[in-house]
Amino acid sequence: MRILVAEDDAISRTLLERTLQRAGYAVVSVENGAQAIAELVKHDAPRLALLDWIMPEMDGVEVCREIRRRKEQAYTYLILLSSKESKGDIVVGLESGADDYLTKPFNVDELKARLRTGHRILELEDHLVEARESMRFQATHDLLTSLWNRGVIVELMSHEIMRSRREGSCTAVMMCDIDHFKSVNDQYGHAVGDEVLREVARRLHNSVRSYDTVGRYGGEEFLVALNKCNPGSAISRAENLREKIAARPIQTTNKPVSVTISIGLALSAEFTKCTVEEIVHHADMALYAAKAAGRNCVRVAQPPGIAKPIEEQPKETQVLAP
Amino acid sequence: MPKQEREVEEQPRQNDWDLKELMERLGGDEEFLRELLVMFREDARMNLEKSRKAMAERDYELLMRTAHTLKGMLRNLSMGAAAESAAALEVAARETQAGDSKELLEKLGKELEGILPEVEAHLAGVRS
Repeated sequence: MRILVAEDDAISRTLLERTLQRAGYAVVSVENGAQAIAELVKHDAPRLALLDWIMPEMDGVEVCREIRRRKEQAYTYLILLSSKESKGDIVVGLESGADDYLTKPFNVDELKARLRTGHRILELEDHLVEARESMRFQATHDLLTSLWNRGVIVELMSHEIMRSRREGSCTAVMMCDIDHFKSVNDQYGHAVGDEVLREVARRLHNSVRSYDTVGRYGGEEFLVALNKCNPGSAISRAENLREKIAARPIQTTNKPVSVTISIGLALSAEFTKCTVEEIVHHADMALYAAKAAGRNCVRVAQPPGIAKPIEEQPKETQVLAP
Repeated sequence: MPKQEREVEEQPRQNDWDLKELMERLGGDEEFLRELLVMFREDARMNLEKSRKAMAERDYELLMRTAHTLKGMLRNLSMGAAAESAAALEVAARETQAGDSKELLEKLGKELEGILPEVEAHLAGVRS
């Protein structure tokens, strides 16, 4: 464990350094408060610090205040070293944000014991941060597939559509649904069905760029938003996704299972007057059309008033007139 | 080490240098003790000089700081009596008490002059 020692007196500093090294710490030592701050705000800063109260540049109490002011950092356990004994000073020290104080000259066993308290607090903090991160993940992701959950994918897509409107670009919204998924569950059981969902999710996720978003919208429905998508290439990219699923069977623990997906595609640039919900609805309608057309295909939602001749569309990708 | 123990027992008490307590703090590391004493020899003289200069110039802020530094090193090295003089000097300087400061600085100077030969002797491996 790394520890910072900030102490201007060379003898005290050396004494602390050596004592801490003997106790198994990696010691970073500095001579004043300004240097202490510089060390403590570094990316991989020590999380334990022993700060002398009276130092040049910036004293220990000021260092504590400054560190506590910067809330974005991981918690640093701060111990003030003081030769002051009056209660008033102790209160000032603790109110500045110090976790503990130690009177000089220190007793080695007491120093070690107080550092152990610091370890416990830091461990506790790490557990809490870990738990918070895990809860944050669970609150935003689908448990089975680890994709964004429905709430988050709709939210992210909304932001992207708003941005593409401001920037005059286009977001391609794709509603993807596994064909005949119910029969997969019926035939192989729900465990295999789950494996299929996970693999479809994985393939979709791996087939888009890092700045595109993929989420699980419902049971076997996935919503994909291709951000800053050239409208001319949206269809071929949807075809590519469809192909990624259809190309090879999914290896499940039971046996290989072949599935396909149908995709309804809506381009935000063609629905400038629509709300995000309406765009999703249009993508959904296009998905129904793809299902009606025999599944394993892409259908594009067409805005009212613009009817492209069907012949212009690739064979598997026909325009759905609303 | 019997030799070490005998030396500690024979240590003169007038300067109140508790070498036994200090060695406990250093985990019995004689080499480390020498290292600290070499530092002390220089830092103590330097800070005493600074204190005298600050006193002469009535710079109580500086006097307070140098007394504080001396107090810290003396306490760390278990030089109790001198450490308490330095502590008293720090307080007197903070309160800008000219008379007390002058008196305490003289007392501290004498105590340090008593300790330094002892430190030198320890470094030379001979007890005075």
